[in-house]
Amino acid sequence: MHPAPLSSLFVGLSLATCRVTRSNYAALRKRRPYILAILLAHVTTISLHANTDLPIPDRPAEILADYCLDCHDEAEMKGDLNLDFLTIDWSLKENRTLWEKAHFMAKGGHMPPAKKKQPSDEERESILAWLDSSLLEHTPIGGTLPRRLNQAEYEATIRGLFNLTDFTLPIGFPRDTEFHGFNNVGEGLVLSPPLLESYGKVAAKIADEIFPPAKPAHKSTTRHAGPEDMVLSFSAATVRGDALLLASRAEQIMRSCTWPSRIEIMSSGTYLVTISASQFLPISDEPMKLEFRARELTASDRSFTDSFRLLKEIDFSSESPETVTFEADLYEGQTLLLRWTNAEMDHEFNALADQLGAWFERDPRFLAAWQKAVYPNGDLSVTRIVQLRGKNGWEIVTKNLADPNLDMSMATMDTEMTKALMKLIRSLQGTYQVADAMCHYYFENGPALEIHGLTVEGPLKTVDDPTDLRRKELRSQLLGERKHGQSDEAFTRQMLEQFLPQAFRRPVDKQTINTFLSIAKRHWAQGASFEDGVHLLIRNILISPRFLYRMVSPGEMDEYDLAARLSYFLTQGPPDEKLLALAQSGSLSNPDVLRKEARRLLPSRPEDAMIQSFTGQWLDTKLLPEIMPDPVFKFSESDIQIAKAEVEWFFAEMLNENLPLTDFIDPDFTYTTLEFAKKNYQYQSDRELIRKDVYRDERGLTLDRLPMQRGGRYGGLLGQSAIMTATANGVDTQPVLRGVWVLENILGMPPPDPPKSVPALTPDIRGTTNPKEMLAAHMADGACATCHKQIDPIGFMLENFDPVGRWREEWPKIDVPIESSGVLPDGTPIEDITDFKAWLVDNIDFFSQCLSEKLLTYATGRVPNYAERKEIETIVLENHKNGNGFQDLVLALIQSETFGTK
Amino acid sequence: MTTQSTLPGTYSIGRRQFLRSTAALIALPALESFPILGAATASTGSVKKARNLVSVGAYLGLHQNAFFPKEAGRGYTMPETLKPLDPHRDAFTVFSGMDHRAPNGHGAWSNFLCGNAPKSYSLDQMVADQIGQKSRFPSVQLTAGTGEGSKSMSFTKQGIGLPMVQRPSVFYKELFMSESDKDRMEYMLRSGKSSIDYVLEDALRLQNSVTQRDSDKLDEYFDSLRSVEKRMTQQIASIDDPIPTTDYKLPDSDPITPNLLMEAETLMYDLMALSIETESSRVLSFFIDGLGQVFSFDGEPLKAGYHGLSHHGNDPAMIQDLIKIEQSHMYCLSGFINQLKEKKDPEGKPLLDSTIVLMGTGMGDASRHSNANLPTLVAGGGFDHGSHIAIDRSKDDAPLLGDLYITLMQRLGMEVDSFSNASRNMNQLFS
Repeated sequence: MHPAPLSSLFVGLSLATCRVTRSNYAALRKRRPYILAILLAHVTTISLHANTDLPIPDRPAEILADYCLDCHDEAEMKGDLNLDFLTIDWSLKENRTLWEKAHFMAKGGHMPPAKKKQPSDEERESILAWLDSSLLEHTPIGGTLPRRLNQAEYEATIRGLFNLTDFTLPIGFPRDTEFHGFNNVGEGLVLSPPLLESYGKVAAKIADEIFPPAKPAHKSTTRHAGPEDMVLSFSAATVRGDALLLASRAEQIMRSCTWPSRIEIMSSGTYLVTISASQFLPISDEPMKLEFRARELTASDRSFTDSFRLLKEIDFSSESPETVTFEADLYEGQTLLLRWTNAEMDHEFNALADQLGAWFERDPRFLAAWQKAVYPNGDLSVTRIVQLRGKNGWEIVTKNLADPNLDMSMATMDTEMTKALMKLIRSLQGTYQVADAMCHYYFENGPALEIHGLTVEGPLKTVDDPTDLRRKELRSQLLGERKHGQSDEAFTRQMLEQFLPQAFRRPVDKQTINTFLSIAKRHWAQGASFEDGVHLLIRNILISPRFLYRMVSPGEMDEYDLAARLSYFLTQGPPDEKLLALAQSGSLSNPDVLRKEARRLLPSRPEDAMIQSFTGQWLDTKLLPEIMPDPVFKFSESDIQIAKAEVEWFFAEMLNENLPLTDFIDPDFTYTTLEFAKKNYQYQSDRELIRKDVYRDERGLTLDRLPMQRGGRYGGLLGQSAIMTATANGVDTQPVLRGVWVLENILGMPPPDPPKSVPALTPDIRGTTNPKEMLAAHMADGACATCHKQIDPIGFMLENFDPVGRWREEWPKIDVPIESSGVLPDGTPIEDITDFKAWLVDNIDFFSQCLSEKLLTYATGRVPNYAERKEIETIVLENHKNGNGFQDLVLALIQSETFGTK
Repeated sequence: MTTQSTLPGTYSIGRRQFLRSTAALIALPALESFPILGAATASTGSVKKARNLVSVGAYLGLHQNAFFPKEAGRGYTMPETLKPLDPHRDAFTVFSGMDHRAPNGHGAWSNFLCGNAPKSYSLDQMVADQIGQKSRFPSVQLTAGTGEGSKSMSFTKQGIGLPMVQRPSVFYKELFMSESDKDRMEYMLRSGKSSIDYVLEDALRLQNSVTQRDSDKLDEYFDSLRSVEKRMTQQIASIDDPIPTTDYKLPDSDPITPNLLMEAETLMYDLMALSIETESSRVLSFFIDGLGQVFSFDGEPLKAGYHGLSHHGNDPAMIQDLIKIEQSHMYCLSGFINQLKEKKDPEGKPLLDSTIVLMGTGMGDASRHSNANLPTLVAGGGFDHGSHIAIDRSKDDAPLLGDLYITLMQRLGMEVDSFSNASRNMNQLFS
């Protein structure tokens, strides 16, 4: 190639020649090779000092001129792309990006377009070789900007730092912006004045949490609640005469409990509770047990009783009011929760159905009355149930009982009507209505528990509530132990020496410690208390850039940077003590140690932060909660929850079990529930599920690992409901959007944005035209075809999946068979998704490369550049040779130069 | 029926009246031709202008048959649910046949203020972003009933659902800050500002130690810090600006249990009236929640919980009780309108003239979870009131509820010509 002095050309000249090209475009167009040659000959004689601005060597320049510049010069700018240069300053990132794109298009055979003159194989290889070596030579590995902690990272960091385990940012906290699909990329994590102000407010809240401002003292008071001051929820209780009646039991408080409306404890302490209660029409000698718990007044009424602290259980055995007094510790914000624990009727649907079944059997008239209430037509043609809720239902049943002409003909246990009624009572909806109505039986006929009044007096003495106790603990964790006779200043210095390295995630020099200590010292000098000084310190530490940003440190990536990168990548949280200790000893960068630590921190549970966050962003499943499928699909909110969880459980399994990357595409299993699989995946199974080690994730979900036939429609990322839902809009599907999505997120070949001048050609699937015909224009037009030949076949192949990922054969509304067949860009014909999956499995490295790039974007906070992608390519091929395990791949990526460079 | 002292629950309705109200809704003579929609840019030339917007939404809907009058235009017979508003009949307008063509179900309830796309930029926030910024509270979000944390009525431009204040005492404290609250605020500002220089000093040392690229990125930090410091200076300067005072006293416990919904509603309306009177906020939103609570009226518990009654399945007895609850909401609203009539602005005009009160819901028929034909009424704002504007929503060019919202925004002085799926206005019908 060119010797160095020759290649370091025209710093000033390139501008001039560009101007020539611009103004004399038409004239130059035909003669360019010649002119280029002259210019090159001319400039080679000049030697200037600029070693990154290199001329395009003769051979590639000729090929460019012959095949590219007709469209991609200053004047034509097809695809907004100008390749018409004499030199390239490779030190500029935008130049490297430009030529990477050219390399991508030429390598993939997308350019020149099919109808234009094509270069010979030798010519193509020649230009690719030049681009490849230039890009590799001039692209430095690394380049992450300082990364502000994003919302999730900030929350995890605060939780770890202060042991505030349930800390969350307030609703309305400014959102992070995405960059290249991820919300943790340096370029996207901008800081603005309102955001910094919000950080300041949150810091003050955190400081308040540990050193709360003093509360005013409360005097002792006596508060009384009569029956009318108690909450009536559903049919849990009612007021009759001068008493409040409880009639039934349930685990959910809103169906079983009452509580005083206007008694809310203002100050934690010991209180004297006085209750007056009696039995109402008891049927046995058994005492009625009234249970007291402490509930937060603001707690959800959907809560279950066992989530509240039990205070007392009292037996009532008399039909005349008895008064009982007891002492109880009640905390700020709480009130008393009252429940009759041994009521006859239980709202649980099996218990209710069993009780009523026995009742119906011994009292056919009662059965007939219910039959008439639920089936007013005397047959099963009409079911009336919602109207029967509460007192209304009981009044209807009572009226039927009094009817001398009540139809008794079906009032035996073996009739269809009785069976239907029993099934209804055992169903979720039926249980609610029937139990709500039956309560009124007890309110009228007993047995019920009567409450006549409740008095709460106090506080007799104050007590530390759990919040107070927790704060004391948080304070001692933060401050450490005060040595005997240690001054405020010395004690605080000791605290800062311990705390600042944790908060800033790296060693902190004396000067910084002194600077922060001065904040407290000055505050004390102004008369503030010791606690106020520390409070102010916390507020300031948490708005320091050393806290808010990671990887701002002098020089190259060091051990501490590596610890932070590893930890935030795999756990979304700050490095733990072990990582910091390894960083301090300088051994974390040892490949064996790094691998071991990576294995230790790898997420394993589907709800782990990394799995949630990474899959949500890579596969767009984070969009699911906001998509509201059209009711015609009968895809409920819980279906959406399961769909999203499927992806997370699946990903966790792939990682935990080190399964081959091909299983992302075509596995022999999927995680779902049997019900969901039957409803959405045409899943047929008469086998009983055998569950080992049933695991319930934090959302309370348990999914099963169902076996699947390889080579089928479902299973794998592309056969999962979540992904087909996330790539549609809940109403209809758009082949182009799904096609682009697959290219970007599965194949890693994002097509360039459509030219600005072209209006979007979005097929209206609700209309009457065959979408494929509508989109044919894409494939025909020269400019569009280049990209749409890649996009559309994949998009149409996925049309078999409706907006929630269920299989369909016809386009909706127009009832035209879906044309899923097409030709992949490499010429492979495909009939449908199964062919495409087979092709992907055969060419799995495309997917592995794509996933690796996404993982490293997420991990490093930058989009991998040419040289980094090359490194990934090597890792992917090497991993493929060694079993292609997913966990192996992740570990190898962590050990890459790309991961280990700032 | 005057002011907030009229507690709900003292009103009972006769069976006969009730039966009349549930007779099948007769086909209304929908307003004939449609030059009723102005082109979005066309203005009626009216110079009337309102300053405040109060949006009230009922989570469990409002029973349509008892809300919509049977006759269109003026002089309609006051429907059952709206009877408590009868004294104000010339101060409000009822709308029927309007909605946002939004999805159905509880999940889409927020279409009330968000339009066709639930959980997107809501009417009140659009207004707050334009005209709310100058008041102490650019916008206020309140709720009565327990709320369950996940519901929101107001959404920012970015689609973030705003939390709502549930305790009247908390809103009161913000409106009429006590001396000790004010002292705390001043302490936080002064101590924060005086220590910022140390953080800055340390941050500069950090910036000097890193590469040019990192240092450039940190410029964002320094720009932000300087701006925050400037703002603190402004806030300290204005700390002694007078904060309104009031003689109004709240009860000593917050009515936040679900059975005290009506009491909470009354207090929140009182506080909203005070907020408008003291010019503390121009944009207020009030969400009326509904759960399984059983209300007692005149000591008599209703037949089922509020939510249970809303699923009445067209059973007359259930509907009768549901209407009692909805009438109570209207009593509370009536008390609010009364206060806005009695309280005067600095020019001596009733606050109602400059305050638009929008009462509606995101659910047209809770029994079927349908979000079509949303019961809506507008009071105040200087509009010509007193009629029932009945829209035939089967017509292709029928106005959307968003068209009404455009009219409301224009009345508030905003230059807007679209809202969600609507791009016209109703100025020619309603001005």
